[in-house]
Amino acid sequence: MPIVKIDDTDFTVEKGTSVLQAALANDIEIPHYCYHPALEIVGSCRMCLVKVEGMPKLQVSCNTFVGDVPSDKKIDGKYDMVVSTQDELVQQEQKNMLEFLLLNHPLDCPVCDQAGECDLQDYAFKYGNAHSRFEEDKRVRPNEYLGSQIVINHNRCILCSRCVRFTREISGSSELFVEARGYNSKISVLEEKPLDNLLAGNVADICPVGALLSTDYIHKNRIWNLDKQPSICQDCSVGCNVDVFHQKDQILRLTPRENHSVNKFFMCDKGRYGFHRFEEIERLTVPMIMSEGGFIETTWDEAIEKTVDELNGAGKGIAGIASPFHTNEANFMLGRLVNGNVGTLPPITSEEINYPSGFRISGDRSPNRHGMNDVCPSIVDDFASAVERKDIRFLYLLDDGIDRELNELWKGMLEKIDFVVVQSYAMTDVSKCADIVLPGQAPFEREGTITNDMGRVQWLRPSVTTKGESRPDWEIPMLIQSKHAGVEGLTDVSSVMNEMGKDFAAYSDITFFRLGDQGLPLNGKAEE
Amino acid sequence: MSNNGAPKQSFSFADPDKVQNILSQYPDKQSALLPLLHLAQSEEGYISSAVIDTISEIVDCHQALVMDCVSFYTMLYTKPHGRHIIQVCQTLSCSLNGADGLVDHVTAKCGIKPGETTDDNRFTLMKVECLGSCGTAPVVQVNNDYHESLTLEEFEKLLESLK
Ligand code: SF4
Ligand code: SF4
Ligand code: FES
Ligand code: FES
Repeated sequence: MPIVKIDDTDFTVEKGTSVLQAALANDIEIPHYCYHPALEIVGSCRMCLVKVEGMPKLQVSCNTFVGDVPSDKKIDGKYDMVVSTQDELVQQEQKNMLEFLLLNHPLDCPVCDQAGECDLQDYAFKYGNAHSRFEEDKRVRPNEYLGSQIVINHNRCILCSRCVRFTREISGSSELFVEARGYNSKISVLEEKPLDNLLAGNVADICPVGALLSTDYIHKNRIWNLDKQPSICQDCSVGCNVDVFHQKDQILRLTPRENHSVNKFFMCDKGRYGFHRFEEIERLTVPMIMSEGGFIETTWDEAIEKTVDELNGAGKGIAGIASPFHTNEANFMLGRLVNGNVGTLPPITSEEINYPSGFRISGDRSPNRHGMNDVCPSIVDDFASAVERKDIRFLYLLDDGIDRELNELWKGMLEKIDFVVVQSYAMTDVSKCADIVLPGQAPFEREGTITNDMGRVQWLRPSVTTKGESRPDWEIPMLIQSKHAGVEGLTDVSSVMNEMGKDFAAYSDITFFRLGDQGLPLNGKAEE
Repeated sequence: MSNNGAPKQSFSFADPDKVQNILSQYPDKQSALLPLLHLAQSEEGYISSAVIDTISEIVDCHQALVMDCVSFYTMLYTKPHGRHIIQVCQTLSCSLNGADGLVDHVTAKCGIKPGETTDDNRFTLMKVECLGSCGTAPVVQVNNDYHESLTLEEFEKLLESLK
């Protein structure tokens, strides 16, 4: 394999690796804009210049590839390529490029949403000149909407064309284009074909500067005020890896987190903006029990005692409804509580969308059907019709949440059952059918594992704190089960995972530590 | 957003055989984009949004890609224009060698600013990016011809000769 020397270090690389890739893979920074690992190389921004020995002028490192040089031609008898990222000429050119890119830039970082995570700001600070020689009037263009959720600030755009290539190569929708040439060029969209596909939000993420902005986040906060929680999107069975940005318990935005086994670099707008639907809900935070005049608040002690009593009285007539919206741990504990006599509600679906890049939005809106089926092996899919036969008297239901609508068949079934326990985070359609409602966690409060539809187990981490007296979703069935069975309870979610591993071999070596931020395929079929 | 002007109508090529002939010369349809645009412009006078729709269908690519190409080349016009199109290069060499003076001259003489057409439909004035003839700056393209190293006097004569 070829050997490339970058500054003072030797690296052995695959033939055909670009100098920029080789450097980045080894934590050597070369400033760059137009290069993005998911997109075709265009070599247009000229920010990534390096000096390559034997070449007459500086080269763009993103589009210069290390090849195999015949042994008699190797530099110093050893190297296939010798690169300097620190040469004086390189440093001068970096300054020049930045001065050039900033000619028409408004230098409005104090009001720019990208500030704090802007490659233009960072590189200008690190590699640029503190002053500009440009004394003429700047070109000023008004902001424009490219689509309903994306605004462009042309004055900040450095025309790297990442956004254009994204719509051509990743979403395949080709809405964006570079209009005109030279001084007049700008990113544009045809009036009758706006940027309104379900992957549109990604262009704001891949824009290296503050030119493309999501209207959902614009001027809401400053990035350095926010905490970033790596987690998993819960809006379909793909399980895109995400970062949840929040300030205390307020979620401000979601961005995709790189995972080459799942979503690569991107996420869809359903998942990206989906968190808003939890903002307005009336969060249930204390146990509620149905009495003559409707639901009244009760204490956890009473709620659990009552539930255990009913459970005792129901004999064999007990069942549970698992939920593909809940973690493996919650479903596992539910299965234990009802002796594996588990069913589900009908799935919540939408159209599956496949993009030319391979990105997929699943038709199954639930994040954890695979895992639920794994830990509830004898699950009955059409439970509503199976119930009479089984003479159920006690039903424990893990609520799918606010997206669930109950059909008449289900409403009728729930009415017939003597005692219905619903574990939920809001007064949903399902909660309303309960005899007792136990407050669990809302989606962004949950912690545990979920298994995506490709069989990858991932660590779902909480971004916001659990509200009021609500309890972790695995803990509630666990408390009832241990009291009912007269056994000692489990103390934390890791010990539930441990128990789950004992019952289900595929999960036997799953721990949070091993899952890390990239997850693991079931049975550890090693790809890492 | 770019507005490619014209009211919505449909466009079809006068001679489908010509289109087929152009397409048959390239290994893939998209390569036929430029010759088809030239053909359409020779028939319509400019590239209307109807032309873009038709061509994007023929070469099987998104309208935005066609527009990307059309807007890149200044010899493709996106608006109706006068009999003579005067394109003054505004890029570095030409600017340093007096391109602004040429533009101002047309404005003073004919009362049109860049992008405008005279009332008698004789001239359309445009400022364009580098015409690739920087060594003979300033350069003005009139219709399909280059006029190089122009002085104001030569330019004035040139304008007079265009009826
Ligand atoms: S808007 Fe952003 S991503 Fe698009 S070309 Fe400009 S700088 Fe690049
Ligand atoms: S594809 Fe699915 S998992 Fe990924 S962001 Fe969209 S809804 Fe979330
Ligand atoms: S990153 Fe290499 S030219 Fe833009
Ligand atoms: S600068 Fe005018 S032709 Fe190049």
